[in-house]
Amino acid sequence: MSLIVTLIFISSGLFLGWSMGANDASNAFGTAVATRMIRFSTAAFLCSVFLIIGAVTSGAGAADGLGRLGTINTLPGAFTAALAAAATVGWMSKLGLPASTGQAVVGSIIGWNLFSGSATDLNTLSRILSTWIVSPILGGIFAMVLHSCLVWWIRLTKPHLLVLDRNTRTGLILAGIFGSYAMGANGIGNVMGFFVGASPFRDLTFGRFSISSVEQLFLIGAIAIAIGVYTYSRRVMMTVGDSLLTLTPLGALVVVVSHSLVLFIFSSTALEAFLASHGLPTIPLLPVSGSQAVIGSVVGIGLLQGIKGIRQIRWNVLVGIASGWITTPLLAAVMGFVLLFVVQNVFGQQVYQAEVNPPMPAALERPNMAAQPISEVFPLRGEIGAVGATGSNGSGGPTNSHGEKQADSGEA
Amino acid sequence: MTSETPPLFGKTRFLQGLIDEFIDQINEGTIYLEMGIKAYLSAGAATPACEEKLRQIVDTKERCAELRRRILTLLYTEMLIPDARGDVLKLLGELFALLDEMGSKYEDLIIEHPGGILGEFREDFEDLNAIALKCVRTVITAARTFFRDPPSVRDHINEVRIFESETDMVALRLKKRIYGSDLSFERKTQLRDATNMLDKLADRSESLGDDLAIFAIKRAL
Repeated sequence: MSLIVTLIFISSGLFLGWSMGANDASNAFGTAVATRMIRFSTAAFLCSVFLIIGAVTSGAGAADGLGRLGTINTLPGAFTAALAAAATVGWMSKLGLPASTGQAVVGSIIGWNLFSGSATDLNTLSRILSTWIVSPILGGIFAMVLHSCLVWWIRLTKPHLLVLDRNTRTGLILAGIFGSYAMGANGIGNVMGFFVGASPFRDLTFGRFSISSVEQLFLIGAIAIAIGVYTYSRRVMMTVGDSLLTLTPLGALVVVVSHSLVLFIFSSTALEAFLASHGLPTIPLLPVSGSQAVIGSVVGIGLLQGIKGIRQIRWNVLVGIASGWITTPLLAAVMGFVLLFVVQNVFGQQVYQAEVNPPMPAALERPNMAAQPISEVFPLRGEIGAVGATGSNGSGGPTNSHGEKQADSGEA
Repeated sequence: MTSETPPLFGKTRFLQGLIDEFIDQINEGTIYLEMGIKAYLSAGAATPACEEKLRQIVDTKERCAELRRRILTLLYTEMLIPDARGDVLKLLGELFALLDEMGSKYEDLIIEHPGGILGEFREDFEDLNAIALKCVRTVITAARTFFRDPPSVRDHINEVRIFESETDMVALRLKKRIYGSDLSFERKTQLRDATNMLDKLADRSESLGDDLAIFAIKRAL
């Protein structure tokens, strides 16, 4: 496959990266910007820098699952699915609604499954759907507990208004940086995971340092996310931090921390191992959505204030956001189906390869769906895995030769 | 770098120091006013000691104006306390206006009554002075409390209201006595204005207290 064609296919991943940056940056810095604790320019800069660091230094590990998993088995199919997810998230961003990139990816993959006639694991799907309900509820509970504890502590210590402001600001920056790093490390798989095997780059070595082709690919993807953060994330940030409920800076900090706690508890294998080693019941590792955890946390803070807080919540905005959680995967699925039809019948590309479609549950056991690499949630094999085997990732697995053929047929 | 220049690090502590100094200066102005009026009432005329207190109040005002400008600039350039910035600036502005009014009214008093206040009303004026300035000092304490312990502001505001209503009662009693005396109408009017001067300080403190109560509610967690 020629470099130009590969780059064209990768462009949809970059578009998905841009959409993700525009939407998911609000999870890390939305409340801080909306409460005016941190300037948008500062937040965008910190978010961009740390997500790029996260993507390049830790993102490669997220792509390891590629070879083990496999659903979309042609590059044109991957391009189309990524395009459908990107367009959906981009549209939600335009509306100023926080959508989950993971949800859009789920929808586009289901669209692909429907189009290709592949089986969708309903058990796995139901588990994903259940996390879309559990995630905001848990975010709300954590926010209520955390907010109550912080208020108790502040009343006890009586810090000066300026000291409280400084501590809250520092907490928001640190939490935002951590969130950005995690977004880059885990989210890059969602963006470029499709194309790891098709990376047009070569490994570079500068003396003792080397940059693999995957890292270069992830760097490009991370830059696309950063551009999304800079160019289009402000509106979603304001929706999360101000439109739904006017948050105090303390509330902003609580939201970011409780969102991180939700992701941590349901994604930490270390925590699971710790609980198991002490004979305690383990918390199931589930793919939870960061965007939904944030919204749940905001609502939790509102509910904590009783009737007054309930009145302050702008329910029409909440209904808009919640409806977005339903429409995002549906829209992505429909769009994916339609685009696959167009790409196959108008552009003559083979968007799927008729072969055994392995079930997905193992991948979906991985937590943090919002920040989960698509490659791990929705496997990609065939051509991409094949090409990937030639790259640094080398996890293409058994479909190597198969994929190469497919690439040729795709071009034809 | 002088101590007047904001440091690169530790701006919070620096600004906290500026706000504390501002409130200290306002409190200092109240003490000067009380001492000045006492000196005026005891001497029965505008003595050099009264002039000295006036000069001290004016100096305090100048220092407060400078401090307020610096606090305002720092708060906005450093984007500090975005949620309470407007309230803090309004609070500082109202405290400064209170000090400004104290200075200008005191100036009016010693200019308009160069011969002093008649002895028969001196005790009443001393009572009025004490209670009105107690009201002012209580609202200053409430303002200081706002920065650390907003829930306690309510207690101070309650005291302010009590002192203000006491001031009103003393002022009313004094005005009745003034207008019941055999003084000329011109003299009665002058004494009434002197009474109103102290009464207005208490009114202004109560008004500031009401605003402060709202600021404290907004800061309630």
